[in-house]
Formats: sequence, structure tokens, C-alpha cells
Amino acid sequence: MEDNFAMIWKHIADAIRPEVSGDTFQRWFKAIKLLQADEAQITLRVPNNIYQLWIETNYLGLLQSAVLKVLGSPRKIAFTIADTAEKEDESEEMLLPLKSAPRSGSTAAGKADGATAENGAGSAPAAANGMNVRNTFDSFVVGANNQFAHAAALAVAQNPAKTYNPLFVYGGVGLGKTHLMHAIGQHVAGHKKGAKVMYLSSEKFTNEFIDAIQNSKLVPFRNRYRKADVLLIDDIQFLAGKERSQEEFFHTFNTLFDGHKQIILSSDRPPSEIQNLEGRLVSRFEWGLTAELQPPDIETRVAILRKKAQLLHVKLDNSIFEFLAARIKTNVRRLEGALMRVASFASLSGRELTPDAVEHLLKDILQEEARRAVTIEQIQRKVAEHYDVRLADMTSKRRPANIAFPRQVAMYLARELTKTSLSEIGDAFGGRDHGTVLHAHRLVRGKMIEDEKVRQVVTFLDNQLNR
Amino acid sequence: MKFSVSKEKLLEGLQTVQNVVSTRTTLPILSNVLVQAVDGQLRFTTSDLDVGIRAAVEAGIEKPGATTLPARRLLSIVRELPASEITVEVDSKNVASIRSGPSFFKILGLPEEEFPPLPKFENAKTFTLRQKDLRDALKKTSYAISTDETRYVLNGILFSFRDNKLTLVATDGRRLALVDIELEFPRSHEGDVIIPTKTVVELQRLLTDDGDLKLSLGENQVAFEVNGTLLVSKLIEGNYPNYRQVIPGETKERVTLERVLFHDAVHRVALLASEKSNSVKLVFTKNNLEIAANTPDVGEAHESLAIPYKGKDFSIAFNPEFLMAPLKNLSVDEVYLDLIDEMSPGVIKIQGPFLYVIMPMRIS
Repeated sequence: MEDNFAMIWKHIADAIRPEVSGDTFQRWFKAIKLLQADEAQITLRVPNNIYQLWIETNYLGLLQSAVLKVLGSPRKIAFTIADTAEKEDESEEMLLPLKSAPRSGSTAAGKADGATAENGAGSAPAAANGMNVRNTFDSFVVGANNQFAHAAALAVAQNPAKTYNPLFVYGGVGLGKTHLMHAIGQHVAGHKKGAKVMYLSSEKFTNEFIDAIQNSKLVPFRNRYRKADVLLIDDIQFLAGKERSQEEFFHTFNTLFDGHKQIILSSDRPPSEIQNLEGRLVSRFEWGLTAELQPPDIETRVAILRKKAQLLHVKLDNSIFEFLAARIKTNVRRLEGALMRVASFASLSGRELTPDAVEHLLKDILQEEARRAVTIEQIQRKVAEHYDVRLADMTSKRRPANIAFPRQVAMYLARELTKTSLSEIGDAFGGRDHGTVLHAHRLVRGKMIEDEKVRQVVTFLDNQLNR
Repeated sequence: MKFSVSKEKLLEGLQTVQNVVSTRTTLPILSNVLVQAVDGQLRFTTSDLDVGIRAAVEAGIEKPGATTLPARRLLSIVRELPASEITVEVDSKNVASIRSGPSFFKILGLPEEEFPPLPKFENAKTFTLRQKDLRDALKKTSYAISTDETRYVLNGILFSFRDNKLTLVATDGRRLALVDIELEFPRSHEGDVIIPTKTVVELQRLLTDDGDLKLSLGENQVAFEVNGTLLVSKLIEGNYPNYRQVIPGETKERVTLERVLFHDAVHRVALLASEKSNSVKLVFTKNNLEIAANTPDVGEAHESLAIPYKGKDFSIAFNPEFLMAPLKNLSVDEVYLDLIDEMSPGVIKIQGPFLYVIMPMRIS
């Protein structure tokens, strides 16, 4: 490890040497020792405080560009002074505690990786914050569907409150919102000493708020959250309709934001679509960066399965991975559950797994998935039911407004949710031509933009059909 | 307490001590000046707990005593009084009545017991210096003091007493100024102390060209006695950086420059130094120095000085402020600029114990 640091420093020094005069190099850089280096920071030991002063004021830019060249990305540069102890061996001894510090840090991380059920041991500090130690950036599989959200989260974790504040991550169930939040929280907690990272769900926030009102302990409640350096709130959509909580959160948000503290929020839908959320909160949520997590494509799903299998130490045939990835499309959590079931079946029964066996094993999950293929008939039924019109009206020639509009909504949904062509949709709606369908689609889309109510209804129906 | 004093003397005493008056309002007594009437003298003392100062002027004391009065208010009143003779009477409730010709003022003071006493200097190491030497040395170094509060050890001047020499050093990390003063003292008096900026400024106000001053070093405290005025200050705690590391050993080229000419030329050219890079370039060719600066989208400036120079052609850039500061504060006609190459620090020297290290700026 130490030799490794010496090597790194040699490379950095080689990058500095041509940029300064020989005398300068001898005078200021020769005596430096690299004590410690990680992804965030390098620590240099210098003989006394004049080195730190002179290097910081005159050669920091140079040093930083050398570090960038050698290590590929910028680091924070810290100095420690070897104190006045002149004797070499004495100063050597002084280093020991310094050297052991990062080491103990890395073992903690190593333990955390392997940790299974023994979370409360205290060896994994982040777990105490309600964050799962397994949810790190390393274990997050990046694909086209979540690349942007991942990059944003990483940027925030590396530079809290400097890049995107607040960061708002949204996406459907089981797509990795919580995983990203845990990863950010743990990255910051692990890299920034003394940083106060708070992770909680909006429900917990509400409950604690109610508790605080009940026991008139609002001041400690406020202090706790307003002193966080990084505040992560999961499932913020549950704040909807809770006015006092929203107001409290609004003030917490402002305090943290004004104090340049990082705020990270997650939700199952974009801020503007959370119903019953105050406008001022919505606008604040949209202030920083909003990143969407989409369902993964098939390649990403296979990659997720492979990674997961590796973590669980199970070996499965490629065909099984592909089978699972092809059949379970929308939900990573379900995907992992299916993998888990297949893996445990394999290890318990000891039987060779065939796609048929897997199909049988995952009958219920697969059925659930299959239901997702929405048909035009389902749409018509749902819409008719919602608007309380007869199903026959969907295909009839009658066009009073109370029937025509639901029909148009149904056509819109059919166009959005199924892969059928315009004329096929037209046929399904009583032999209308493709222009009618196109018109209906445009009309509904226009109304959704203009009329909040229409949008809510259509989104609601959409969600219902997609469940 | 009752005394009469000339307006001139009273003003002199108050003006000497008024700079130290605390601007912090946490302790109201610190915005007051302690006035003591004893032995034909009026003594004025102010303090901000870090720095304290006491001055004395002659006065006709009718009834000895002491009180404290709001310093700034008292000074502004005295400044405006119409007659040259002023009579002040303070009653037992610290109410001062000030009479001068037809004017009458009454101001409320606080009891003298509340005023924090200046620290005592017992068993202190004492040094006697010529005022002119110290005044000169402070002038040549104080402009290089760092104002960066995060580097508090640099927010003052190092007074290093070693080998029968007092060395004054100031630096902000980009330049460093150093002056030696020859001084006799016993070996037991050797040591390093850092005098804070505020004290340096006050001391510069007190020093004149004639006479001596007495410097006393106690535990974490220093006292200067100058022309009957006592200035007491806390020292900055901590280790001053090892400044010798900064001073280049061997230099390659020595350029002799006429101080005023060089200063004025740099001053003119610097008018077109860009705010962003804030640098002027010195280009040395045979017997010529060209000083140049430019700001993109604004313009450029050049000025040539004929100088005796026989070395190889090269150029180096400096921050013009840092280059002019020592030139402005020196009094000699000629300065020497010692250089190594465009990446190494330059050194300004004179005939005498002065040295100034200045870091070059990168020429892009």
C-alpha cells in the first residue's frame, strides 16, 4: 500500500518536474511524501508549515493539474505537517496512526460489502441511517434507461451542494430510486468526514412531525433536520395532501438550500404530477435537476441479473438469464425476486433448470407481467367504466359530447399504450378511419396540456391500465 | 477630579489613544477612555483587550482622580471647542463637566474600576532600539503582511531576535519582505515573536525619527515605550513559517534599476494589466528592459528602460502591485533585481539589510 503511494507520488512528481525550475522542485517537492490517496482526496506530508503555505499559494494549480494527469480526475489536496520532530524515525512513528486510519476505513467498507443480516453490528455506520449498505454506486447497473440519473447522482455525491441542488429522482416502482439515494448518502458519509447525512422517507418525516407537534418538541425536530449537510427524502409523493407537513418541509427545504446543503428527493412521478402538492414546493423541486429512471432495456436487464447472481454467488445458465430478462420487463425488484426464487430452487432441488421449469416456477410473476400487455378492449372497458358510459358506446356512431369525449380518450390511450396501427384502432372503435383516431389523439393531448383535470383523469386511467 | 488643559494638549493625548478604542460593543467600558489626573499629568488609556495604549500630556491638576469617558464622543467635542483653554470637572458619579469659553458640555462616564488594567511586565526581556531603525524596518516590511484571516500566524510581523540581530519578516505566501536590525542583547534574550498587524499600525504612528524606544517581551505579551507613550499588545500564538526556505540560494542575473524610474514605469504599464491575470511582463534584452502588459479586448502598454544588462534574453511576469510595494516603501536610489529564470522567484535587494522575494506569475 505504502509502496503504491510512493509510486503514485513518483508519477505526480514526474508530471510537476518539467513545469518548474530545478531549484524550485528540489526546494518544495523533493521532501513531499504521499501519505494517503483515495477517490476524493490525497494527503501530502510536508516537513513544516512553510511548505504548505508556499505550495498552496504558488503551486496548487500545478499540483492539481499533475494529479489530474496522473490519477485521471481531480482530488482535494490536503497537507499534514511532519511536525518539528527532526528525527526521521520519530516522524515515521507519528505517521502510523495516520496510515491506519484509511485502512480501518476500507475494512469497514469491505465488511459492509459482505454483510448479510448482521446489520446492527455497528461496523457499518451507514446502515444505522436507514440505508442499505449494499446499495452503492458499484452495485448499480447503468444502462441507457438510468444513465442520466446515475451520472447526476454521482456528481451530487462527489460534490454535495455544488452541482445539482436539489436533485429530484423519479421513476416507477423498483427502478432504483432508493438504490441511488442510498448510494449518494453512503458515498458522502464515507468520503466527507463529519458530514451529517440524513436519509428518511417522507412518511417518517410526517410521522416525526406529528410526534413533535403532539409532544410540543418542534424545536428539536427542526434542529435535527435543518442541521443536515445532506438530506435525502424518499417517496416525497406521500407528502401530497398533508398541508402542515408540506409547510414544515418547505421551511426545512429553504433553510438547507440557503445554507448550501444538498437535498435529494425521490418520487414515483415528476414533481408537477404529484397531486395535492403546493405549487411553491413543486417549483422548488423543479429548481435543481430532475432525473428520470426508466424501465431497463433487455440488455440492461441481463446485466442486472448477472451482477445480482454474482453477488449472490449463484451460477445460472445464460439461457435462464435471457429468459427472465425477456419475460420480466418493468420492474427491477421483481426481476431480482424472480432470480432469487430460481436460484434457491436450483440450490434446494439440485435439478437442472430448463426454461420450462423456470416458467412453472415463476407462474404467478409471469402472469402478472403478461397482464401488462394492454388490449384495446381493456382500454375501452376501463374508460367506459370510468366515465360511466356503455361499452357499446365506444363503438357506436352516436356522438353526443358525453360519449364522444370518453371515446376520444380511449382512442388516445389505445394509441399510447398499444402498438396497434391507427387504422386498426379505428376499426376497433366501430370502423372509424385513421384520421379520426389521429384527431382524437391530438385533441386529448391538447386538452391534457390545457386542463389539469383532463390530465389527471388520463394519467389515472393510464396508471390503472398499467398496473 | 478637576483639571485644566490646553485644547492642543488634550487633542494630542486623545488622538494618540483613540485608534485602539474597541469597535466591539460587547464590553461598553472598552469604548471609553480611562482618564487619570496625577502629578501634573493627564494620562489617557484605551484598550480592546488585545492591544492597549497609554499616553500622557501635561496639565494643570487641581484635584487628582480618575474616570472613564466615551472616547469618540469626548474627542469630537474637544475638537470643536472654541477656546484654547479647557477645564474639566468630574464628580463622584463620573459625570464630567467640560467648560471652554462660552461652551458647556456634560457627559456621563463609567467608574475607573471597571476599566481592564494594562498587563504588568515583570521579569520581561527588555531591548533598547533606535526609533528610526524600527520605523524604517516596519515601513519596509509591513506591506507584505497577509490579510488572509485563515492564516492567522501570517497576520503580523515576525520579530526574530537572534545572533545580535533583530530580523523582521512579513509574508503572504506570494512575496516576503525581510529587514535586519543590528542590536546588542544577551543570548538569553533570543527568541521569535509575532506582532499582530493592529499593533504594527499603532506602533508606526508612534515612532519618530529621533530617540530610542524600549521593547519589553513578556509571556505572550509585548510592550513598546515610545516618547512617553506605552503600547501593549498580545502576541500572535503559533509558529511562524520557516521563511529561510523561501529565499533563493544562488541567483543568475543581477539587474540594477533606478528605483523611482522603475516604479513609475511599472505603475504606468500596470494601468493596462488585465484584472484577471493582473501581471506585467519584464522582457530583458541587451541593455534594455521592456515592461509590458495587455488586457484582451482592451489594449496594451509597453515601456522601455535603458539598463545595464548583458545576460541572455528572457522574460518574467510579476504581479505589478507586489513589484511596486517595496519600491514605494524604500528610500534608496538604486535597487537590485536578482533573477534565476522565468519560473523562479525574483529577489529585490538594496545596499543594506533588506530583502524581498517575489513569486513570478506563469506566462501563458
